[in-house]
Amino acid sequence: MASADGGAYSYSLTVFSPSGKLVQIEHALAAVAGGTTSLGIKASNGIVIATEKKSSSILIDDSMIDKVAVVCPNIGIVYSGMGPDFRVLIAKARKSAQAYWKMYGEYPPTRVLTQEIATVMQQATQSGGVRPYGVSLLVAGWDITRGPTLYQVDPSGSFWAWKASAIGKNMINAKTFLEKRYNDDISLEDAIHTALLTLKEGFEGQMTEKTIEIGVITVPTTAELEEGKIGGETGRPKPTFRKLTEEEVRDYLAL
Amino acid sequence: MASVFSPPGFDFSNQLRNNFMAQKGLPLPKATSTGTTIVGCLFDGGIVLGADTRATEGPIVADKNCEKIHYITESIRCCGAGTAADTEFTTALISSNMELHGLTTGRKPRVVTAMTMLKQMLFRYQGQVGAALVLGGVDSTGPHLFTIAPHGSTDKLPYVTMGSGSLAAMAVFESGWKANMSREAALQLVKDAIAAGIFNDLGSGSNIDACIITASHTEMLRNVEMPNQRVEKERQYGFRRGTTAWKTENVRSLIVNEEITLLGGGDEMDTT
Amino acid sequence: MSIMDQNGGSVIAMVGKDCVAIASDLRLGNQALGVSSNFQKIFPVTDRIYLGLPGLATDVTTLKERFRFRVNMYTIKEEREIEPETFAHLVSSTLYEHRFGPYFCEPVMAGLSKTPSGGYKPFIAATDLIGCLNFAKDFVVAGTASEKLFGVAEGLWEPDLEPEDLFETISQTLMNAVDRDAYSGWGCVVHVLTKDKVITRTLKGRMD
Repeated sequence: MASADGGAYSYSLTVFSPSGKLVQIEHALAAVAGGTTSLGIKASNGIVIATEKKSSSILIDDSMIDKVAVVCPNIGIVYSGMGPDFRVLIAKARKSAQAYWKMYGEYPPTRVLTQEIATVMQQATQSGGVRPYGVSLLVAGWDITRGPTLYQVDPSGSFWAWKASAIGKNMINAKTFLEKRYNDDISLEDAIHTALLTLKEGFEGQMTEKTIEIGVITVPTTAELEEGKIGGETGRPKPTFRKLTEEEVRDYLAL
Repeated sequence: MASVFSPPGFDFSNQLRNNFMAQKGLPLPKATSTGTTIVGCLFDGGIVLGADTRATEGPIVADKNCEKIHYITESIRCCGAGTAADTEFTTALISSNMELHGLTTGRKPRVVTAMTMLKQMLFRYQGQVGAALVLGGVDSTGPHLFTIAPHGSTDKLPYVTMGSGSLAAMAVFESGWKANMSREAALQLVKDAIAAGIFNDLGSGSNIDACIITASHTEMLRNVEMPNQRVEKERQYGFRRGTTAWKTENVRSLIVNEEITLLGGGDEMDTT
Repeated sequence: MSIMDQNGGSVIAMVGKDCVAIASDLRLGNQALGVSSNFQKIFPVTDRIYLGLPGLATDVTTLKERFRFRVNMYTIKEEREIEPETFAHLVSSTLYEHRFGPYFCEPVMAGLSKTPSGGYKPFIAATDLIGCLNFAKDFVVAGTASEKLFGVAEGLWEPDLEPEDLFETISQTLMNAVDRDAYSGWGCVVHVLTKDKVITRTLKGRMD
């Protein structure tokens, strides 16, 4: 019964083992731990999320792979684990953000969107005929009430806010590294460099603009906000999340 | 998110009651409509869209300075005429879908995509969604200008007009339009066309809005011309305080006052 | 005679200097027959948002409850109070959901919205019965006396009125307009919102 693979309790995911575990969720976490490392750091004036992009063969056209995804102009997500599961979650998250926009005329706060994704992931842990999502997410966003916030969501559907966190293959070392490096008044520029240094630990192969993806949240100034509320030239507030271009990543790596 | 409230799409639950009331001889009230003059004009390397800013409810001017040039994407905009709520929500829905489309494809969505989404939606509602649109923008295939009628039919032309002032505006276009106009000439022609609507059509009025879209930049010219500014009143019509007699007054203070009263010394405890 | 005129009633909202005011009559009728002289059609949504709902009385009550539900859900879920702009969009999308079977109400909103620098900015808005938003900088009106209200307000409103002066202007506008509307009247109520208090007054007016 209590064998290493979970025994009889590992098949139906909605059945608890006598020790109170849902073994499928633990297997999902194992899938995440096997994925490439991703991390996020909250700085005093923004957030950086970054990941290692590894392709199994040099023959793969890696320009098609997106690991840092834009959900809406103020929120971006990076993942570790299974790519296909991530794509499904991103599609749901984007739809949810648009539904919110249609209802309230503004994009959702980070916490509300995170909760929404977490609910989708939790549903997969107690529904029949499905398996949990094999991904952990780092959700970075900015909103007027809570400012910049960084959340981690796990396959169980639980989520926490972090100052800095890492997920995936090298998460334990990366977290230890971040604990040593982190301080509360780190600037966004420094945070991007810390992120790259952290990824460097245990990086297999060469770190280039092709193998690194970075997304940043930039906190708007009060003056920008006052202006944005009236609606600038576009009538839309300026996006606070964006992905760095390959050129920008190359410049950060060169420093 | 929206799921907490109700499923997406329209809710028809009041229809039975409303039809019953209509049968009893109480006609359905009118919604705000934009009588409107809206136009679009192609020029060398871009598009100029134009609109007036009057919204009406029957013979009443409901809004003297509304916005009829709606955002679809950064380089696509859409002017709306007809039932105001329909133009507002239809363009918002398509704008939302275009943003999703852009995110999933990783490309800038095209004007024909917006046009197809709009015509399919309007055709599905068989003209019941009363939106007459002028859609214009620039994408990787160049500048495009369309009109979309409430039933879903579309036209692709170098200069277009829509709304109740469309005849007045088209007269200006027909006499003044030339191929390969400059940006300045196109903007002036659009302003003249809207002005023709404002001054000759009762359903259109107030100010001129324009929007110039080129491959690199979109310039929204809100109230680019204000030919109907109200002159400042010669005298003030304020009432002396105390003019209005009132019976009761209730003042709700929004300031939270906290007072801490220390009772006794605070450290002795009664142990008897 | 349309369904909108069945029960009568009118609402107006005006912008002042760092304050807003919203006022309505108190009549509920069954066509020409007066039924109540204390029918409230203005409801507080948060401390700094008031919502006026003129129109068919049954829908006034239904919508008031619907909005209460939706605002409460929002407050619980987001752990924050709803801002006037957000609330206006909520009202608009709720009404448009019923595009093909509308509620016979034309909501009017007045509130003070928080600015990013911590101050308060006056906000008013109105929608038609299917949710087309109208953000005005001066005043918005709705109800059976709306045509008269438009006219009087256009003449009397002026910018940057202090709360007490705004009270006089909105009260006189409303009272003089409803006196020429058979379906509105039977007393009036005025709310003036400022950054630190809400003044509510019931007016002395004609009762015929």
